[in-house]
Amino acid sequence: MPKCTINGQEVEVKEGATIIEAFKKMSEDIAHYCWHPGLSVAGVCRLCMVDVEGARGPQIACNTVVREGMVITNQSEQIKDIVRWGMDFHLINHPLDCPICDQAGECGLQEQYMKFGKYDPEMGLQKVKKRKVVDLGERVVLDSERCILCSRCVRFTDEVSKTNELGIFNRGDRSEIGTYKDKPLNNKYSLNTVDICPVGALTSKDFRFRQRVWYLKNADTICNGCSTGCSVKTYYNEEGLFRVKPNHNEDVNGYWMCDEGRDLYKFANKESRLLKAKKFDGSTWEEVSAGSAVKSLSHQLLETIKETPSKVAVVYTGQFTNQEYADSLKSFDGLGVNNFYHWMNNQASKDEFDGLLIRGDKNPNTKGLQNEASKFSGLKKLENLFNELESGNIETVFVMAPENISAYPEYESHFKALSKAKNFIWMGANQTSCYESTNSSNTYLIPLKSYVEKSGTFTNHNGTDQNFNYVTTLVAGALTLSEAMTLFEGQDLDFEIRPKIYKTMKNNHFTSDRGEL
Amino acid sequence: MQVKVLSEHYDKPEFQGLEGYKKLGGYVELEKAFKMDPKQIIEDVKAAGLRGRGGAGFPTGVKWGFLPDNGEPRYLLCNADEGEPGTFKDRMMMERAPHQLIEGMIISSFAIGSKKSYIYVRGEYDESIRILTKALDEAYKAGMLGKNILGSGFDHDMDIYVGAGAYICGEETAMISSLEGYKGQPKLKPPFPAIEGYLGKPTIVNNVESLAAVKYIIRDGVEGYRKHGTEKSAGTKLFSVSGNVVKPGNYEIPLGMPMKTLINDLCGGMKPGRQLKAVIPGGSSTPILTAEEAMKVNMDYESMAEFGTFLGSGAVIVIDDSNCMVDLLGVLMHFYHHESCGQCTPCREGTGWLNKLVASIYKGEAKMTDLELINGISNHMMGKTICALSDAAAMPALSFLKKFREEFEFYIREGKSKVKGSSYAQMHH
Repeated sequence: MPKCTINGQEVEVKEGATIIEAFKKMSEDIAHYCWHPGLSVAGVCRLCMVDVEGARGPQIACNTVVREGMVITNQSEQIKDIVRWGMDFHLINHPLDCPICDQAGECGLQEQYMKFGKYDPEMGLQKVKKRKVVDLGERVVLDSERCILCSRCVRFTDEVSKTNELGIFNRGDRSEIGTYKDKPLNNKYSLNTVDICPVGALTSKDFRFRQRVWYLKNADTICNGCSTGCSVKTYYNEEGLFRVKPNHNEDVNGYWMCDEGRDLYKFANKESRLLKAKKFDGSTWEEVSAGSAVKSLSHQLLETIKETPSKVAVVYTGQFTNQEYADSLKSFDGLGVNNFYHWMNNQASKDEFDGLLIRGDKNPNTKGLQNEASKFSGLKKLENLFNELESGNIETVFVMAPENISAYPEYESHFKALSKAKNFIWMGANQTSCYESTNSSNTYLIPLKSYVEKSGTFTNHNGTDQNFNYVTTLVAGALTLSEAMTLFEGQDLDFEIRPKIYKTMKNNHFTSDRGEL
Repeated sequence: MQVKVLSEHYDKPEFQGLEGYKKLGGYVELEKAFKMDPKQIIEDVKAAGLRGRGGAGFPTGVKWGFLPDNGEPRYLLCNADEGEPGTFKDRMMMERAPHQLIEGMIISSFAIGSKKSYIYVRGEYDESIRILTKALDEAYKAGMLGKNILGSGFDHDMDIYVGAGAYICGEETAMISSLEGYKGQPKLKPPFPAIEGYLGKPTIVNNVESLAAVKYIIRDGVEGYRKHGTEKSAGTKLFSVSGNVVKPGNYEIPLGMPMKTLINDLCGGMKPGRQLKAVIPGGSSTPILTAEEAMKVNMDYESMAEFGTFLGSGAVIVIDDSNCMVDLLGVLMHFYHHESCGQCTPCREGTGWLNKLVASIYKGEAKMTDLELINGISNHMMGKTICALSDAAAMPALSFLKKFREEFEFYIREGKSKVKGSSYAQMHH
């Protein structure tokens, strides 16, 4: 474990660590664009220059291994001068179109100019013209003039996704990122290139032009797209969620996440949500608040269930938290119910794994569900329930419906099949058109909270418990399973479910925390 | 006067073919080398003081000594991507004496224990490629290459790889990238090629002339080789003299000869009625010398260093008083802008910026402060990048401005060339 001195402070680093890693460990500022901890060293931006005592001249910190006793600084006038010029070299052909650039506010050029640059621009000549609005693939757009050719995206497709769609074409200041003919950037991890792009060269088709980043807050959570359970950061404001980016988590997802996982915020937004509870009595639909719907459900059914618990079935999907499973299972168990069914989607492909992050089990918490249910009477296969319904052995069905309905192609058909129950209670977060075709003349649709609206724990594929916290409220009055069961048992919640008041005027929150380069 | 060690038989057409080459002493040293201990050859090359003839002047034997001693497969690459503007010696060597290079390469491969070597030739050298291909064929047929060469038990295969004419591929790690099938761009060092080179294996890259010279170290021995040249610049070297001299061409001279002798005696001096104005001593990237400096400097590594420049590849570009330095720098900056690989930011952006700035001078669009800007850009391109192309562009810019500043100032002030009396617009439109 070699020790070195960084800007006058001693630090011990791992054997083989580079100087830039030592700077990062110390949280010392160091300019850099091409270096990224999740990628190989390119050494091309030439900004992370440091003085090493005894060395021939300035060294790049990203490709210099720390040796015992090294004395390193980037505070000398010489280094500051090199970095200022290095910034200028990056910016002379950059269009400086920050006002219309999506990256503005979280741009490496802006941030590092303010930290290390602050020179008077010297470039007074015609800039190099390159391609704008280049369609690289399904999700990513390139602006070559903004590109600083750090090669992070190229290295990503080479080393991480191993799909090699991107390359740097041409030479010198005519160099441009591009794809080969008929080989667009369409891998399952393509949006990571947008994340690691330090400038506004690569932008996400989904996110671009929708929000300025300084009008977004962010909070950490766990992706609910599959059983990997990537650590993610969600970006939101009062209008809803806008995007999801990966958080570094060495044990789970490294620095990356898949494109599919980035789309799931859309199911949490109001547009696709069940906003109110709905009751159907065989002829008319009635909209009520979630709380009062559960209360009236309780009045109507609680005693019946207690009397004949064997006629009650509860269907679970792997999309809820461990706490919700524990609470609801305990409630039903207390009522004498022990018919718990597991609605497992894509049964055939559930054990698949692409070798990087994407797993075939498109539920964040199948493990958690199995663990919790094993403490009670276990889980039965959903197919058996269809038979029980046909034979009339089951009269009341509770369904804890999935939140990520894109992973449940059978969502609508199962809704219809299960609604053959006499009493049909469908608890879920999403609104779909199939609800109107219910077969039950006693149907309840109870709106539940999405994963960003609650705290809890998911247990991922290898049994790691991952806690996450409440991010924001998107649908006022929606319940967690735990809350719903508390109300169903006839108790009051120990807190008030207060609809969030939306202001009529847009209230913009300037956030200073905009993630790391 | 010329001392013809390597080029002794270059004027004999038969030296090109295997038969003629053997008659004139070819492949004798190969047999001699096979009887030597490979380590002794490396020691001899070190002791002879042979320095890389491609440009950097790094001691060849020392470079070989960096190879790990672990018996791993290793490669020898011959750098025949002669791209430094002004240089044409390797071309002549390959065209006049292909077997000399092949023999030098087999001896060198034997010394470093390499079973496979490549000659990386620049794409424009059609004739060299044709002649080398034929010579390689002859060598294989004669048992100089392949299995158990001349009964020595040493196996060696050699191939020619044709580049696409990129200046950058003359940089050894860019050459390795190119040979591997990638875009020709320099690689980060460390690791150095001697440890991790071609296909990740230990690799030595040597210039055509360096490899050919190994034969003569074997022939003449360390002392014999050191008979010519100086203590630190041993042996002879080929110089490609171009520009405004009476007799331009390749000259083999002992290192240490005064440049004055080379220009005035060997090359017949300046063209009638013309005065020497400046000399670029070692290829377009080396800092320029004024006429006065050129008349004092010697053709060796130490003397060049004293005058703040380099012996480089041995391309002596002689410039007379009819040339406008602004024009010349424009040509050079255009070249380096065109050839920068684009990997490192200071070079990618700097070469383009310098090119535009110098062009703006002769287009009459420059300000006097732009001269300081050129200096600033150049200073911040020097030593800041993976390879030396950035320095190669910056050094002429800095030295032209330092030594011929009044011509640049005149052009900016008057809008026309001090030498030619006309402006770019008048000349080109």
